[in-house]
Formats: sequence, C-alpha cells, structure tokens
Amino acid sequence: MNQPLKEGRTRQSSFRVIYPPMGYDSIPIAASNAKEFGKKKRVNRAAKLKQSKLDVRREQWLSQVKNKGCKEETNGVSGVKMPAERNDINPSGEENEGLRNLCSDSESPFNSPMSSVFGSNRSPSHFTSNSSSSSSSGGCCSESMTEEDDGDNECLDDWEAIADALAADDIKNDNLESPEPDSVTATMEASQDDCCARAWRADDVFRPQSLPNLLKQNSFPCFKNVCSPSTCPICCEDLDLTDTSFLPCPCGYRLCLFCHKRILEDDGRCPGCRKQYDHHGPGNLSSKMGRSYSMIPRR
Amino acid sequence: MQASRARLFKEYKEVQREKVADPDIQLVCDDSNIFKWTALIKGPSETPYEGGVFQLAFSVPEQYPLQPPQVRFLTKIFHPNVHFKTGEICLDILKNAWSPAWTLQSVCRAIIALMAHPEPDSPLNCDSGNLLRSGDVRGFQSMAKMYTRLAAMPKKGRIFST
Repeated sequence: MNQPLKEGRTRQSSFRVIYPPMGYDSIPIAASNAKEFGKKKRVNRAAKLKQSKLDVRREQWLSQVKNKGCKEETNGVSGVKMPAERNDINPSGEENEGLRNLCSDSESPFNSPMSSVFGSNRSPSHFTSNSSSSSSSGGCCSESMTEEDDGDNECLDDWEAIADALAADDIKNDNLESPEPDSVTATMEASQDDCCARAWRADDVFRPQSLPNLLKQNSFPCFKNVCSPSTCPICCEDLDLTDTSFLPCPCGYRLCLFCHKRILEDDGRCPGCRKQYDHHGPGNLSSKMGRSYSMIPRR
Repeated sequence: MQASRARLFKEYKEVQREKVADPDIQLVCDDSNIFKWTALIKGPSETPYEGGVFQLAFSVPEQYPLQPPQVRFLTKIFHPNVHFKTGEICLDILKNAWSPAWTLQSVCRAIIALMAHPEPDSPLNCDSGNLLRSGDVRGFQSMAKMYTRLAAMPKKGRIFST
C-alpha cells in the first residue's frame, strides 16, 4: 500500500507549475470574501506569476531545443541545464506502474478473499508487476486476474476453483456465502451426501442448469467495462448498465444517454464518426436498444 | 458538477499523466480558472517553424465538449491559416468539424499538423497564402523562418543569461 502512494507523490512533484490539488471553486469564493482591491491586486500578481512561470518554462524548453538542433550555440551553461530537465522528467516515466498498482489496490477489497485461495496454486513469478516487493499480494492477484479474465470460460473456472476451496473449507459457510438463489442451495444440500468435499465439476450431471447463466449475468458488466469505456467519454460520468448496452451509431462509439440526447438536440452527429444519427424518432431508438439488448446473451 | 467542468478536470489529470508521452505539447491549465488553458507547442521538424516554441491560448466554453474550444496563437506566426495580428486559427475541427470526442490535447496535435501542412486555399494570412499559391515555396519558407526566429525563439544573448 505504501508503494502507490509514494509513486503518486513523485508524480506530483515532477510537475513544473504548481496547481491547487482540488476544487477550482474554492478560490473564487475565497477571493470574493476579501476586499475588492485586495482581490484585484492578488489577481494581478497571480497573472504575473503565471506568465513568468510560463516564460521560464519556455526558456528552458527552448534551450533544450537549441541543444538538440543547433550545434553552434551549445554553451557550458545550457549543458548544465539539460540534465536537470531530464531528471525532472524521467521519474514520472514509471507512473504507469504506480497507477496500475493503485487501480489494483482499489479493487483489492473485492479480490482479497480470492487471493488467499489463489495464493497456493499460483507462483510468484507469474506476476507481472515489478514493484511487487512492497505492494500487497491482493493487489498483485487482482492484477493478474484482470489480465487473464478475457473470456467467460475462464471466469467460470476461477469461480469453480473458489467454490471448490470453499467447499473443502467449510460446507456450511459455502452455503451461506454462495451467490446462488435458494433453490440452488437446496439442491446443493441435497447432493451433499454424494460428494461433500467439493462443488460441481464442469461436466457434473448434478450441476444446476441455472448456474452458468447466473454467473454470466453477474459478470456481464465488468466484462463490458474491460472492452469498452466505463465512463462516458463526453461527460466523464460512469456508464450504467443501460448506457453500456446502448449503441446509438453503427461505428460503435459509446456514450451515455444523457450526452446522446444533448447531441441530438445540438447537431445530431456521432462524436466518433461525425455522421448524422438516425432521425426517425424515439420508436427507432427503442428498437435499436432492444436489438442491442437481445445481443447480450449471445456474446 | 457541470459536465464541462468534470470533463476538463479529467483532461487535466490525463494531461498530467501523458506529459512525458507527448514531448511536443505542454498543456497548462490556469491556476484559478479551469476554462482557461495555455499550451506550448514545438514547431514540427522539417518545417520553417522548427526550433520555435509557440504559445496557444485556449478559451473553453461552458458547453464544452459539445462546443469547440476557442484557440489562438499568442506567439506571432507566419502561416496561411493563422491571422497574423490576432492569432486566430482557421481549422475545420475548431469550427464545423468539431467532435466532442476531441480533447484539448488532440486539438494541439491538430494544430501541429496544420503547421506542417498549411492550407493556402483558405487563408487567414493572405500574404502567406499567396506566396504558397503562386508556387513560391522558398519565399514562404524564408518568411516563416524569419518570423519563427523573431517571435518563437529567444533573443540571442538572452538565452543563456540566467
């Protein structure tokens, strides 16, 4: 858990210009409370400061360009400047790693119960994260899992592995925690006499028919998010289930219903391909949505 | 939070992450106003603008990203599609060909591409456009290079004084 935090801090410190970390709203409010002329003064000073910062940045950058391009203008002083610039940029090159760890850590509350199960049959060399020394095992596992969970079948296998382990551990716990509806648990309790040590295999005859469908339904949104954006690219709000299955344009560009409506009111062109959306009224829209819904189970 | 603000905030974060990935573009948001941005772009190589750093000013409307941002050059530039006095840019994606899928970063990229490939048939700077249209590429290039030196490069002696 320490590693991602540290990464985040280095990323922050590598920026040239200092920004307020949050809340663009808070500054104008504070300014309005202050006296009128004090505010003006401050704004002027801030503007000057900003411009001078930009100028400095530009000068440094230019000297960099010069160093690369023109050989007659190389100078001892600028030679010193260059490495400083490089050092400033380089550390943030690793930020992708840090970000991935951050992401995986945020998922770890969900994945950590699984990680204890997976820990036994997965070798450490399997993990791709190079900063695994300090990051928790939950983070690593979740990372490798997201890489592997490409198809439904693998998901099923994973689930069965967990189910097996849980059943081996404690059958009663398994009954309480398993996500199946009551009817399924009833059949499971009935079949406990036959095989009490593990859950169903993939080819088991007693395996309830409803199980795969249920799993598919549950896992559908998260698979959707892997291959399509989880947030609307226009307004950056999270896409819900209706939005993710909403395909307004044949080009496949996804957006939320809210933004789609706003675009229809505006110029009505798809942001992805700039072609006009179909203008045949809501009837066509709903039929389209219906079609995209019907495609879900066939995936 | 209104949509434009959320979107700009996301772009801000995105820019910070991608800063290393695109060495030709430096996008900087105003300290107190997320609707005002400044960009520094490097002149593309093998053009008269090579070696220069050009400053762009972004003014983002409230309806962003449904409406395009207003962009103009703060640095003087001799280019057929840039107004010589105001810095206004004639670029289709900033007008009717805008798409909400574009970002400030991609607008910067488009402007760099426009610098490398001028469109003399829809000129904002008629002198520049006429030079190119009459086939005087050399004349255009020397003019553009001169203004790059004058406006987009630091003055000699001032560079290494600090």
